[in-house]
Amino acid sequence: MTDRSGASFLPRSELGSLLDALRADDRRVIGPRITAGAVLLGEVTTTAELPAGWRSDQAPGSYRLRQTDEDRTFDYGIGPGSWKQFVYPPRLAQSEASRSPEGDVTFTALTEEPPLLAFFGVRACDLAALGVLDRAVRGDDDERRRRAAALTVVVECAVAGGTCFCSALGTGPAADAGFDLALTELADGFLVRAGSDAGRAVASRIPLRPASPSELDARDAQMAATAASMRVGFAVDGLPARVRAAASSPKWDEIAERCLACGSCTLACPTCFCTSVEQHSDLTATESVAERHWDSCFTASFAAVAGGSFRPRVRDRYRQWLTHKFGTWPMQFGTLGCVGCGRCVTWCPVGIDVREELAFIAPAEAADVAVVAPTAAAPAAEAARSAVAPPAAVQVAEPPAAAEVAEAPPGMDLLPVTWPFAPARVVWSAAETADVTTLRLEVEDPAIRAGAPGQFVMAALPGFPPSAISISRYHPDGIELTVRSAGPATTALGSLRAGAQLGLRGPLGRPWPLEAAEGRDVLIVAGGIGLAPLRPVIDAIKSDPGRFGRMHICYGAKTPADRLYIGETMRLRKCRCADVAETVDKPDDDWAGQVGLVTCLLDEADWRMDHVVAFVCGPERMMQAVVSTLVERGAPRDRIFLTLERHMECGVGLCGHCQTGPFFVCRDGPVFSLAELDGVFGVEGI
Amino acid sequence: MDADPMSAPRPRLGVVKMASCDGCQLTLLDLDDELLALAEQVDIVEFSEASSRRSEGPYDILLVEGSVSTLEQAAEIRRLRRESRTLVTIGACAQAGGVQALRNWMELDEVAASVYANPDLIESLEHSSPVSRVVNVDAEIPGCPVSRSQIRELLAATLVGRRPQLPDEAVCLECKRRGIPCLLVTGTAPCLGPITRTGCGALCPSVGRGCFGCFGPRENVNVTSLATGGHPNADDAATRPLRPVPLFTSWARQWRDAHDATPAPSPSEAADARR
Repeated sequence: MTDRSGASFLPRSELGSLLDALRADDRRVIGPRITAGAVLLGEVTTTAELPAGWRSDQAPGSYRLRQTDEDRTFDYGIGPGSWKQFVYPPRLAQSEASRSPEGDVTFTALTEEPPLLAFFGVRACDLAALGVLDRAVRGDDDERRRRAAALTVVVECAVAGGTCFCSALGTGPAADAGFDLALTELADGFLVRAGSDAGRAVASRIPLRPASPSELDARDAQMAATAASMRVGFAVDGLPARVRAAASSPKWDEIAERCLACGSCTLACPTCFCTSVEQHSDLTATESVAERHWDSCFTASFAAVAGGSFRPRVRDRYRQWLTHKFGTWPMQFGTLGCVGCGRCVTWCPVGIDVREELAFIAPAEAADVAVVAPTAAAPAAEAARSAVAPPAAVQVAEPPAAAEVAEAPPGMDLLPVTWPFAPARVVWSAAETADVTTLRLEVEDPAIRAGAPGQFVMAALPGFPPSAISISRYHPDGIELTVRSAGPATTALGSLRAGAQLGLRGPLGRPWPLEAAEGRDVLIVAGGIGLAPLRPVIDAIKSDPGRFGRMHICYGAKTPADRLYIGETMRLRKCRCADVAETVDKPDDDWAGQVGLVTCLLDEADWRMDHVVAFVCGPERMMQAVVSTLVERGAPRDRIFLTLERHMECGVGLCGHCQTGPFFVCRDGPVFSLAELDGVFGVEGI
Repeated sequence: MDADPMSAPRPRLGVVKMASCDGCQLTLLDLDDELLALAEQVDIVEFSEASSRRSEGPYDILLVEGSVSTLEQAAEIRRLRRESRTLVTIGACAQAGGVQALRNWMELDEVAASVYANPDLIESLEHSSPVSRVVNVDAEIPGCPVSRSQIRELLAATLVGRRPQLPDEAVCLECKRRGIPCLLVTGTAPCLGPITRTGCGALCPSVGRGCFGCFGPRENVNVTSLATGGHPNADDAATRPLRPVPLFTSWARQWRDAHDATPAPSPSEAADARR
């Protein structure tokens, strides 16, 4: 029911005074305008530009505007564009890089003063969406500043569109908090409520009178009628668990037959936040600009690594999208990723209806528990304005302690985003194998030098996309990176020589849990380049042997020439710091050692595995084989740790590329216990 | 490592054509100022649309426009491949056969007779073929014509030694980024955007015209679902797909497969569809 105190009434004829009040102080008003056969969001200066009298007929895959002879202004429903475009722009230049003639490399963050805007006509669902987006991209300074610079004027819906289902998710049609001003359109004018000091200041400049009880009653009736007119068609209770449980359902194939994988749903969605970065360089790569743009989990390149895409089939991509929105988003952010705006339904070119697909793929059962509904938007302008953006000030309140949220894995804390790249200089470089190089770097940034074993950095050169490279050794004044030439960017990194500069951002990711290994025997299993992130573990154990039990190292490589750190493994053997066993797939004439997969070393091990802590890194298929051997030999699943390789661009859980099940591999991993990866590790297309 | 750039030989760039309209070469000329910057980085030794100066290989970078339609072209492209370190095709003709590949569905004699007064004088291969059918190519720039920015990106990446960023996603993503309401959903125009590769910047949809597939198929296309409005398995005549994508880039593999897999409509079905 409407809060009876403080609501006011604005006659219809005075709507222009509200626009004028919002436009004071050089603020631009962004609101609904009819453009190209749809209601789009653009600058509005007079009420004549608003779509008064227009309605939209919306159905799966269909949107038609229709003019009526009514004088109501806001019955047009919602259009294709959401407010996301103004707080998380479709294209955004993020940083510049340049290389001087002397070879010095400079990275500069590009920050622009966010425009002063008033969002005019934000629907309740879209207000909730802004709050959901705030949480999802909470490390992004640009989004925070754009939000803080905007006033939010809500207009509640008196008419639900044919694809709306906000009532099912508790995000609308009424809005009760999180706005600066809220309007409800009645027969002769607007009920006006202020939700912040900024909103009250605007309200004080327009000709309001106190609302009458009958006007307040009219709003309540209107909201109830709008809610009642929506068709939902799927059960919300227990939805996240049901969607997650449907991961191996054959029904995904049926949806994929219809899905175009065009990505329209994801970019129309007001909360989808995935992005990619393109490097625009000049012809000599002395200057380059990194530009972020909206991307989609429906493209092939989105989940691609050097060896191919993790989600080659359309069914994998549709499953990723729907499972993320309704199944894993609550585990990551404490809300659903959907607010029921219906854009993905209306704007799917072939009319795939998410409501029907949810009912199809995850039908309701009797014993369902309550869902976590999206919370109201984070207090928009007011909270953000109250402090000049120290990260803690906008850290959203902890989500309600519901069952879904309790599942959130460790390591979900807000990570500081350090932009731009810090300079580092190559001290020496050494060829490990034909295509692997170790770079010894002098690093100014003390945070990077203070990283932990298993953490990684994003390493960047002007003109190339940054690469995620694990730190292969720590020094007091720097680090080592061991780089395999898998593509042009890593080839360029590997060909750096002494004196060359590059940019680093880090340390990133969750390290190997050395504390879990205290007092226990440690088993290190590595394949190929996978020894690199484990080398700091070996260093740590070697330098503090009293803290751990016996160290066993099992290392497999394709050929004898593909083994890394050959001198070091020999010294480890000699000093009896570790049992070192090695094997190769293809021996050469000089190879006298073991031949076969790395699992053969485990098969032959004569020590007990049920009380070791195992750290495993290598190609995914090798890790699957190792893990199943270890489990067979009695190693507990919560003491087997492995590291996943996924496509990474941001390294801090913002860009979305590395998502795997409920995890952002870059932020929640790359090191995981096998127990954490249940239903994820080794499952095709996840 | 830091040799004087003036003394180091500059990469030799050639631009040649097979069966084509020269429009993609014109896009290269449209680089304007950047063409001068390019000329500082490379020796443009062969570029018939720009200069009458002829040259021979070898080429560090060779851009090839056009499809292989004659025996002479087939021989020439094999020779050029041997003379080129990096061979990149530019445009829809070179990538997929082009508009002239529409004849591939017909008998050559029949086509020649319908066009030429003396078809006996015509010597042509049975098919107009993508360059990649005849020789290995290092990269393919799609489009009819190619986009300036993708040509630029290819040259910048090749000179630096990185992989060109040539997205293979649908045009739809660019429409959404540009805030263009979907033409299919608003009923404005039929549009091939969902099955077409991006690169044009959603040029046609931005002026209210449907995409007609200049950049060829994107990866993993679902032609049947688009052609049936999301009912790929319906068997009633109203939603059964007509032969999809009878357009000028249809010889592109994924579209051709979809086309050939669908029976031709009967005359009455075709008449119904036109209504």
